[in-house]
Amino acid sequence: MMTIDIPTWVNLAALFGGGLAMGLGAIGAAIGEGYTAAHADMALSQNPESSGDIIKTMLVGQAVAESAAIFALVVAILLLFLNVPNPSLAKAAALVGASLSMGLGAIGSGIGSGMPGGKACMGIAAKPELSGRLTMNMLIGSAVCQTPAILAMIIALMLMFIDFGSDPLKIAALGSAGLAMGLGAIGSGIGSGYPGGEACVGIARQPRMSVGLTTNMLIGSAVCQTPAIFAMVVALILVFMDFSGAPLYPKWAAFLGAGISTGFAAIGSGIGGGMTAGGSCEGIARQPETVGTVTTTMLVGQAVSQTPAIFGLLVSFILMFKTFPESTALSASMALVGAGVSMGFGGIGPGIGNGMVAQSAVRWVARNVEHAGDMVRTMLVAQAVSQSTAIYAMVVSLVLIFVV
Amino acid sequence: MQELGKIHQLIISFMGHEMAFNLEVIAMTWIVIVLLIVFGLFTRRKKGIRPRPLQVVGEMYLSAFYQLTEDALGSELAKTYAPLISALFMFLLLSNWLGIIPHLQEPTRDLNTPLSLGLMGFVIAHYAGIKSKGWKVYLKAYLEPIFFMMPLNVIGELSKVVSISFRLFGNIMGGSIIILVVSHLTYSMVFPPLLNAFFGLFVGTIQAFVFTMLTLVYISVQIK
Repeated sequence: MMTIDIPTWVNLAALFGGGLAMGLGAIGAAIGEGYTAAHADMALSQNPESSGDIIKTMLVGQAVAESAAIFALVVAILLLFLNVPNPSLAKAAALVGASLSMGLGAIGSGIGSGMPGGKACMGIAAKPELSGRLTMNMLIGSAVCQTPAILAMIIALMLMFIDFGSDPLKIAALGSAGLAMGLGAIGSGIGSGYPGGEACVGIARQPRMSVGLTTNMLIGSAVCQTPAIFAMVVALILVFMDFSGAPLYPKWAAFLGAGISTGFAAIGSGIGGGMTAGGSCEGIARQPETVGTVTTTMLVGQAVSQTPAIFGLLVSFILMFKTFPESTALSASMALVGAGVSMGFGGIGPGIGNGMVAQSAVRWVARNVEHAGDMVRTMLVAQAVSQSTAIYAMVVSLVLIFVV
Repeated sequence: MQELGKIHQLIISFMGHEMAFNLEVIAMTWIVIVLLIVFGLFTRRKKGIRPRPLQVVGEMYLSAFYQLTEDALGSELAKTYAPLISALFMFLLLSNWLGIIPHLQEPTRDLNTPLSLGLMGFVIAHYAGIKSKGWKVYLKAYLEPIFFMMPLNVIGELSKVVSISFRLFGNIMGGSIIILVVSHLTYSMVFPPLLNAFFGLFVGTIQAFVFTMLTLVYISVQIK
């Protein structure tokens, strides 16, 4: 049997990671740019006279959407030519983690930042005189969408350039840190595109609300990035916390479970929060005088949509900080990974479902503000029902952690 | 590339605890504070009915932020909170812009600055909530919609501090790392000015505004 020494493992990880970071990182930006171009085409056919403005806006929008892929390119090139001073297996895992973090983390931001561009082109077709305002709003919206990708890049660079020693437990911790951050950035990236797009539509519909819409868009997309920030916190704990002394078996599985739990649960909440924010931008553009009520409803709706991500975070924290008795039995490890998988996947659906409820509630509160109280109550009840699946997932996770 | 993550610290032993001071961050924060005070003094100099250019800038800025605060809190409370909100934005804006000057760093690049500002906003928001609603209504809000949701509501409140401060920190830190790495890869040709304009000026402005607006929104959610 062929044996591979440690420097070779690190080298393999760097080369594989470079490919992985760029390959995954190329997915999102391309989809986002395609979305922009598709809407630009539609806009052109509606208003051929402003083709100059539309094409200019499309290209600027695509350039901003590209930045997520450019972050991935930078990380990939650095990985290909990386010099590792003290090769260890932990470093090899860190490099794979870095590529997962950057590659997966660029997907959401790429898709999301295409949305404002496309809607801005549509807006220019409808109201050519607003092209300056719309381009500005598009730039702000797309720039805010990049936050999850930027957070993913920070974690990736930390994993690449910090020396972690050679504790075998760090192998699992560093790989899971990258996984958590990468997965966690997907939903928030896609989600923050919705308010950007709807705000561009809204400005074209109601130009006098443009400042209010931009402000609301910023608040909405900032709040829907909270799940990505949870993922970053988990990743930072996994990277920097000193876990030495804990038994390798089954603690490695606990780290993997922690990464999976927060990472996947953040996807649904990120998208759901974004849909809510998009609905509120649409509502404000229809009924400008309801802005106060609509913004508050949006924040309440987003807070509830984020509950699955908070469940995911809780399960991760328990997995990371609970001490587990040493056991080399495979079932003990599998139970902990299973706990993460249960909560992670179980959180995706409720996050999106709650987002749908809140999106619709926010839209209709704007149109029918006298009945806001009834609608918000219905929204909360419906969200609680849709949340129950996340609660089942959490119960199963807790049983797997504490009972099995 | 080695300057990534290097921090100059002054460590002092005090009553058996080690206290670490990040000297660069303190120095940079003081630069921002001094610049703001100088700006304030200049806008007030020779003020009059027919304003001088700087006075116009100051007045336009303040009236815009008073308007934003009034929209969120109503005109009565705006008198209390608008000075805070305008000062917060000015401080953050200048902090985020400071990095485009060579050899200077953004104070917001260190997690301690955003985290303490986030904690400040959290305390102020809850103080405002207790003051306007009273203890009973304030505490009852944690039992909504059902009593056993209480722990989640508390975590949700605390997570606001985490999210608001890590968002600012991540964006500014990320921007400066990208500038550093890309400058390194391109031997500091062509790209750094563009990157500084995008991450330093543009993203810095947006994130300062986002932080300020979220602080304001957290206050307004608490008082309602």
